Amino acid sequence: MSDRYRPQVVDHLVRPRNTGEISDASGRGESGDAACGDVACFTVGISDNVLENVRYKVYGCAACIAAGSALAELVEGKHLLDAARVSKACLEDALGGPLPAGKEHALTLVLDALHKAFEDHWNRKAGDVLDAHRERGAGGRSVVAAMSGGVDSAVTALLLKEAGYDVATVTFRLHDGERGSRSCCSPDTVLFARDTAHRMGLPHFTLNLKELFHRRVMQDFVGSYSEGKTPNPCVACNAHVKFHASSFLADEIGFHHVATGHYARVDEGPTLARPVDESKDQTYVLWPVPQDLLSRTIFPLGEYRKTDVRAIAEERGLAVAYTPESQDICFIPDGDYRGFIRKKVAASPGDVVDDEGRVLGRHAGVVDFTVGQRRGIGVSAPTPLYVSEVRPRSGQVVVGCRQDLEVREVRVRDLNWFLDPDQAACVQVRYNGSPVPCTVEESADGGWVAYLDEPVLGVAPGQSAVFYTGDGERVVGGGIVARSSS
Amino acid sequence: MTEPVYLDNAATTPLDPRVLESMLGHLGSRRGNPSSLHAFGGSAREAVEEARDSVAFLIGASPGEIVFTSGGTESDGLAVFGLAGSAGTEKRHAVVSCVEHAAVREAARRLEFEDFEVSWIGVDADGLVDPDEFDASLRPDTALAAVVWANNEVGTIEPVPELAEICAAKDIPFHADAVQAAGRVPIDVSQTPVSTLALSGHKLYGPQGVGALYVREGVSLEPIIYGGGQERGLRSGTQNVAGIAGLGTAARLAREEMDDHVAHERALRDRVMAGIGALPDVFVNGHQERRLSNNVHLTISGVEAESLVLFLDSLGYAIGSGSACSSGGHKASPVLLAMGLPEREAFSVVRITVGKDNTEEEVDGFMGAFSTAVAQLRDISPLYAG
Repeated sequence: MSDRYRPQVVDHLVRPRNTGEISDASGRGESGDAACGDVACFTVGISDNVLENVRYKVYGCAACIAAGSALAELVEGKHLLDAARVSKACLEDALGGPLPAGKEHALTLVLDALHKAFEDHWNRKAGDVLDAHRERGAGGRSVVAAMSGGVDSAVTALLLKEAGYDVATVTFRLHDGERGSRSCCSPDTVLFARDTAHRMGLPHFTLNLKELFHRRVMQDFVGSYSEGKTPNPCVACNAHVKFHASSFLADEIGFHHVATGHYARVDEGPTLARPVDESKDQTYVLWPVPQDLLSRTIFPLGEYRKTDVRAIAEERGLAVAYTPESQDICFIPDGDYRGFIRKKVAASPGDVVDDEGRVLGRHAGVVDFTVGQRRGIGVSAPTPLYVSEVRPRSGQVVVGCRQDLEVREVRVRDLNWFLDPDQAACVQVRYNGSPVPCTVEESADGGWVAYLDEPVLGVAPGQSAVFYTGDGERVVGGGIVARSSS
Repeated sequence: MTEPVYLDNAATTPLDPRVLESMLGHLGSRRGNPSSLHAFGGSAREAVEEARDSVAFLIGASPGEIVFTSGGTESDGLAVFGLAGSAGTEKRHAVVSCVEHAAVREAARRLEFEDFEVSWIGVDADGLVDPDEFDASLRPDTALAAVVWANNEVGTIEPVPELAEICAAKDIPFHADAVQAAGRVPIDVSQTPVSTLALSGHKLYGPQGVGALYVREGVSLEPIIYGGGQERGLRSGTQNVAGIAGLGTAARLAREEMDDHVAHERALRDRVMAGIGALPDVFVNGHQERRLSNNVHLTISGVEAESLVLFLDSLGYAIGSGSACSSGGHKASPVLLAMGLPEREAFSVVRITVGKDNTEEEVDGFMGAFSTAVAQLRDISPLYAG
């Protein structure tokens, strides 16, 4: 019996429910590929977050047709939050039990198509306003938790659920280099996150942010490098993408809070504060989150150590097969960011010069250099040489000895203050750096200048400068390093 | 519901009651081992030898040239590995068509792992091997060549007599898989110089689990199973006496009744073809004339094969699917891909194979069910615009 279809499957095959297509649908989703032999297509009519109408079409094996029919029947009339909670296990129950061995992909396929229809619905609603979105504040106990498929975000959702929150999860499609991108279904990261959410009984949504991410993060990343700067794409994402999108979805489904798996805390102000696990501190990349969004944000992991988080995941039986952690830049999975930039912009060779303009050698392109860099300069010298400045216009890379890198004055732009700038007592200019005591002063051009009490080596324009309170615990504000000098 | 209608005779045929009758005497308590000297053994031996005569009669062979096996796959394997194994060490090349049954195809692939070079002979859009291309790929170091007599999927009948002549002239052993052809196409090994030829019981209204390999006198084969030296040492192991007796009866009936069966099948097949012609976007695969009398192989645009097969199954009609769907996605048939069918269409193929017991009423009922199922599955298909 195990390799034969149950009567319920045959019934759905011969008398499929909810077939067809809605012409004025709120969303349309397709999964699979004719070249794989299975294609599922769902159209949905959504009004006030209720799935009033669901229609599906399938080209594929009997299991796919039956699963599509059962799913459409199961979710029609449901609130979106309940529909987005329907898991492969629920679908199997509706079909009378497990499908024959080798047919499980049918469940994944039709769920993926339905979820892509939801995604299309959200993306249509978001339109162009997504990155400008601000609305409701904190209050109730409902939260949209961003899920990447990794252990941190999974435990975030779990902790919130256990704390009594209504939790809806969301995974963002940010770029095309996602793990396991195949022609069939979504990339493995999305499918894995959906499975994880469903195992916890939580609704899962996806949002397609590729255009926004490309415009606000990837283009900026490439552009900054060609301007001789050293950008931090996580900062750009936190400034424009992740929190705005979570917040948009929360507003749409009437939820109050948003949450991510970052290691940070939200303190009075509101402002950011260092997490319990200081070795995982992410306040340095969170400074650009707009304060009104931060006011509705929860970082549950700020109270935990990473080892605790792993223990919780294991204890609660969360599958953590995918831990896309410790990737510096998510859209460059192999870590070769120079190679990535080279593919986008043509390298223009130029001179390697000393601080008096004497030519010491040639280089293949300014994108290969970052202030403070020691390796790969290609000029031999009696003492080690460091890049002290990159001049994209003239194509010059200025090198000098270690002392030439010393910086006492850092000019900062694009500031985001959480607290009164007077409280800024020290500044951190590097992800794993220590805060250095400083005094700050507003400059005529609208930026700020930090005068450091002690010199710092190699402050690269494009990196973040984050100001902390005197005890070093709370973020006063942050900005982008425009320029530094000795 | 009425009795389901069976239209998948290329997968297996029903067992002819006369065949069953001839087997029963060997399934009771009074049975012997054909190798034993006593009376029990003697009567078992007689049954096996009588069957050998019948199988030889079907294809114009001498009884001594028939080796009983466990079925078509073993016969093909014994031929491919046996010919390869008995060839000189300097002969490490094989010529094999791209439209072989898996039994030959996979055996040849296995040879590739054993440092054999295999020249895979392509086919035209109808599935036919080109004798000139075949000829050109034969080499002095060719150990064997193999081409199926009639393809099991699309039913195209290959020019095997011509190919066998080409090989004979060059003294290269030639194997023909005649599992689907036997009983439908006249086969006479006294006229067609094949070296080996595979047969199966259950495609001839005989029992499953029994087959035969014709091995021309003088052709040397390396066995693949060793033991007591039964079947002239080519297939050790106590014979499946009841199965062999059944195969013998089936072979005799196939020879005696072939003309009637073929005429009956052809009439039913053409009735299906005519009905298909009225449906939009349904195409017949394989050669229009040079095809098995019982075979209709179709591409149905926008409909996935498994869903159609199961839909029809629920309506009481059994047909074959031309592709298999599994967790790794669908697997397109290598035969169809070799014929140039695009991969995305290779999942929309089914095979209808009639048999001697089918009736016109059954075929007419099937056509009604078929058009209903196709229409409904197309209605929900995102790949059919119709």
